[in-house]
Amino acid sequence: MSSKFGLAGGIPERRVRPIWDAIDSRQFKNALKLVTSLLSKYPKSPYALALKALIHERMGKPDEALSVCLDAKELLYNDDLALMDDLTLSTLQIVLQRLDHLDLATSCYAHACGKFPNNLELMMGLFNCYVREYSFVKQQQTAIKMYKLAGEERFLLWAVCSIQLQVLCDKSGEKLLLLAEGLLKKHIASHSMHEPEALMVYISLLEQESKYNDALEVLSGDLGSLLMIEVDKLRIQGRLLARANDYSAAVDVYKKILELSPDDWECFLHYLGCLLEDDSIWKYFDNIDQIHPTKHIECKFSHLTEEMFDSRISSASDLVQKLQRDNENSNLRGPYLAELEIEKRKFLFGKKNENKLLESLLQYFLKFGHLACYASDVEAYLQVLSPNKKAEFVGMLVKNSDSFSDSATKVLGQTTTILKVQELTGNIFELPVDEIEASAVKLAKLYCQNLSLSKDLDPQESMFGEELLSLISNMLVQLFWRTRDFGYLAEAIMVLELGLTIRGHVWQYKILLLHIYSYVGALPLAFERYKALDVKNILTETVSHHILRQMLESPMWVDLSNLLKDYLKFMDDHLRESADLTFLAYRHRNYSKVIEFVLFKQRLQHSNQYQAARVEAAVLQLKQNADSVEEEERILENLKSGVQLVELSNDIGSKTLRFNEDMQTRPWWTPCPEKNYLLGPFEEISYCPKEDVKDDREENMKRAIQRKSLLPRMIYLSIQCTSTALKESAETNGSGGDVKICGELKCLLDEYTKMLGCSLNDAVEMITGISQGVRTSESLGSNFVDWLNFAVFWNAWSLSSHEHWHVLNSLFERLILDRVRSMGSSDMSSCYSDVQVLIQIVTEPLAWHSLIIQACTRSSLPSGKKKKKNQHSDQLSSSPMSQAIKDSIHSLCSTIQEVSSWLLNQLNHQEDEQVERFLSTLKRDEDAAGGPGQILGVLESFIASSEELEVGNRIFQALKSWNTADTARKTVMAQQRVLREFLQICESKRKLLETLKQQMSHV
Amino acid sequence: SSFEGDLRKEEMTTIRRFSCNDLLRFTSVNLDHLTETFNMSFYMTYLARWPDYFHVAEGPGNRVMGYIMGKVEGQGESWHGHVTAVTVSPEYRRQQLAKKLMNLLEDISDKIDKAYFVDLFVRASNTPAIKMYEKLGYIIYRRVLRYYSGEEDGLDMRKALSRDVEKKSVIPLKRPITPDELEYD
Repeated sequence: MSSKFGLAGGIPERRVRPIWDAIDSRQFKNALKLVTSLLSKYPKSPYALALKALIHERMGKPDEALSVCLDAKELLYNDDLALMDDLTLSTLQIVLQRLDHLDLATSCYAHACGKFPNNLELMMGLFNCYVREYSFVKQQQTAIKMYKLAGEERFLLWAVCSIQLQVLCDKSGEKLLLLAEGLLKKHIASHSMHEPEALMVYISLLEQESKYNDALEVLSGDLGSLLMIEVDKLRIQGRLLARANDYSAAVDVYKKILELSPDDWECFLHYLGCLLEDDSIWKYFDNIDQIHPTKHIECKFSHLTEEMFDSRISSASDLVQKLQRDNENSNLRGPYLAELEIEKRKFLFGKKNENKLLESLLQYFLKFGHLACYASDVEAYLQVLSPNKKAEFVGMLVKNSDSFSDSATKVLGQTTTILKVQELTGNIFELPVDEIEASAVKLAKLYCQNLSLSKDLDPQESMFGEELLSLISNMLVQLFWRTRDFGYLAEAIMVLELGLTIRGHVWQYKILLLHIYSYVGALPLAFERYKALDVKNILTETVSHHILRQMLESPMWVDLSNLLKDYLKFMDDHLRESADLTFLAYRHRNYSKVIEFVLFKQRLQHSNQYQAARVEAAVLQLKQNADSVEEEERILENLKSGVQLVELSNDIGSKTLRFNEDMQTRPWWTPCPEKNYLLGPFEEISYCPKEDVKDDREENMKRAIQRKSLLPRMIYLSIQCTSTALKESAETNGSGGDVKICGELKCLLDEYTKMLGCSLNDAVEMITGISQGVRTSESLGSNFVDWLNFAVFWNAWSLSSHEHWHVLNSLFERLILDRVRSMGSSDMSSCYSDVQVLIQIVTEPLAWHSLIIQACTRSSLPSGKKKKKNQHSDQLSSSPMSQAIKDSIHSLCSTIQEVSSWLLNQLNHQEDEQVERFLSTLKRDEDAAGGPGQILGVLESFIASSEELEVGNRIFQALKSWNTADTARKTVMAQQRVLREFLQICESKRKLLETLKQQMSHV
Repeated sequence: SSFEGDLRKEEMTTIRRFSCNDLLRFTSVNLDHLTETFNMSFYMTYLARWPDYFHVAEGPGNRVMGYIMGKVEGQGESWHGHVTAVTVSPEYRRQQLAKKLMNLLEDISDKIDKAYFVDLFVRASNTPAIKMYEKLGYIIYRRVLRYYSGEEDGLDMRKALSRDVEKKSVIPLKRPITPDELEYD
């Protein structure tokens, strides 16, 4: 079109270029000047207008940009002569997308395509619009039109992908697949097929229809030669055969792959699955939801007689032995691990081969025990062992490792492995305290002895024995759990911090530290260690669970706000740009990626963490501004009075949440954010429950997010209710609109209690019971901040009931004072979880209640703006409600005073005194047999005696810079900071209440 | 040449195309400070354009052991494969996994895309990596001054493929160049 004549959107190129240059170099003012002059010459040029809109948008003037866009659109629609080229439209699209008006861009393209029905470029633009809108049906229709017009293979495949997406995402009928298959067949008959990706789509389509044999036929026909990598082809073939239940043929295919690549572990599992006609592995294959599949794959044997089982297993053994022989001189783990897998299957089948399994595990240890991956390789086999066999196995390892001492690194590797196996089997939880201590001391010595091995290493490289410090720290945390002696935790901090001083890149130390710091309430340090992990982009989705929960329950609002902002920005950016990348995959004919991208975007969109963060970001703003009802109203206005979040709550109810967090990196004592073993009494756990946590998480998380997303609306409605209640209390007759508000609040309360697991009546009974001391606060379980929130809004809904006020007051009193009393004079390190609860009570339910009181007071006060007559207030002052408000203020004031006093008492200790106290937990009596401090002792005396020649300059300097007291001081200071920030919040609440008290006394 | 015979024989672990879900599984590899976590459009552009150049190695328990990402680009005799990133989890180091991943990319550049050479950039100070690449047959082709955020020099290393019969692509340049002289990003 126009561009053919050196024109851009009908304007000479040379006049447009300077504008783009100015935009690219961010000289927007200059660009605007240029475009204005251009418009004076071409006032009717939609392209010039599109450029102007773009500049406005970049300058941060969305309203102007949109209005210019609309002008351009008008021109495009009304003027038949207007140039309707892709350049103009795509420029408009860029602006409109950024303005969140994709629909306008789409209608421009649709209009253009209607005008020029044979223009392929415009149709591609329109297709792109539908990709951005995720309108798969319209994508399909447009692609088919393009295919008919140009006859190109790619457009047909665009249509086929769009059909597959309809079935996958819109749950459209599978009949559509038949249509796609028909189209492809017809095309192949006349034009054949030319691209491997096209073939992959064809096969996946047939697979989606469960036509495995048809797919196999295609693969083995001429088209199969499109796949140039033999192994890839075999893998597909094996999978199709297995799914078609042609197991014996599948076995042959997998055998072939194993001969080509004997270390292909997944292939071996498929081989064994097919051999034993066990389809459970395919089920697990289909379960795309699993990022980290359960390690314990269930096995089905019931369909096999013992004889059948024996003969098949023996052919598997033959193959494995052959693979071992053929690869004798290489270091392949696969064929040896395969031996373990076979023994495991035998064991699960009911063969009494536990000893043989142990023997194989030992053989694998002797071959690969020095490698860092031994423990994770064998995890699935350790799991099936009985507890005493696990212990026996650890014993075997200890015995056999001593006989190996040809190289220091090998000994080091083996020792580390044994410890990891002890952790994995839970064996370490059964050892007596002194044995664990002795073992930790031994490891510390081993670490010191081997530091010299790392002397010449590049600082970037991992050092020898690095893992030992993590293992020691894990033991120390366990010792703390058992003995409640804080010294062990202090020691764990020291060990890991020393490790970071020697080499600052070890992320495992940082994660362990951040959790220990979180536990002892040194949250600023925990956050610092988290930041040092340099978590960004997709890692914010998989790693931020380490810190997010603690931050949400802390007074560190500024850091929390940044954390949430960064995370939400990443997610929102991705959700926005994902469609463009999908279109890129379409354009480059990588069709399988098209489907992958769309599914992945959905997966992130439904991430539980994303949904929670959206709600929490809103709640955080409300928390931060809860001292002023006017500020709060402003925030609520931005949140559309909480309506959107209520919709979110309903929306979540009907959807499956996705769990994308990588929990594998969490320490043993807190396998998921909601769980921390250290908070409860010592119990023997095996390390393995790590993976059980997922099952009930989904339901719990869903409810928690749903509950929380009702909060802003309930706050909004409660504030509205106050004016009604006061009017009623003064006049007795309510008005229609107010009834509606109350009605809605009642509905939300119903919803809220449902998500707490009971009816409204039961919930009321529950809180009343607790306030009267008939029930204990334990009956609220772990959600008692949510219960308090409920009580607050329930009271707001029925402000005229004096009794309800009373229930709420004593509920606050009871729950807060119980905590304060139980904390008594204990140290922050040992009662941070209580502090955390108090922080939540004060910053949420108590804050909301104060806000409601504030709103009540405001409505009852004579003010210029309000048309309230003074006599109302007069009536109020003597009304029971005014008395209720006064009582509540009084009660809250004294309750919060107790919290402040506790905090002040903690903060009263001098810093030096605190540091001394911290360090004293590590001091040991010379004669004492055990206790904390031994490991630090080993490390410190090594530091004192180390020589530069031995460990090298870098390590030597690091060791010399170590200072135990400094680390103690940093911890103490971090703890104090949390307390100070909390105190500040308490004080501001108290001041607010005092002011309200004053105001009420004038009423 | 090292490409005689079926290179697939050398690949031991399950190596398969990288998929979006692997982005959620590579955490412990990427927490390592030497591995950069790029933004999403970077990864997805590679996946959308060069899916054959983005592979992941998986171990028992479906653990991500490492991955390689790259692309193929250039005109005429500079049509080449490029290694953008290759990384192996510390847990699986010293098992020649990086070599396997590199060989795969070389193989695809050589056999499927018929490229002339494969190249990569490495920090001039990263001696361990340079040594490893040299062992894999890479030659320091030229030095790029202040390539890394305008501070550190980068080395452009190359390995000739079978199509470059005379190995012209790997004759080292005599002088260092500046980043603006680079043909490709």
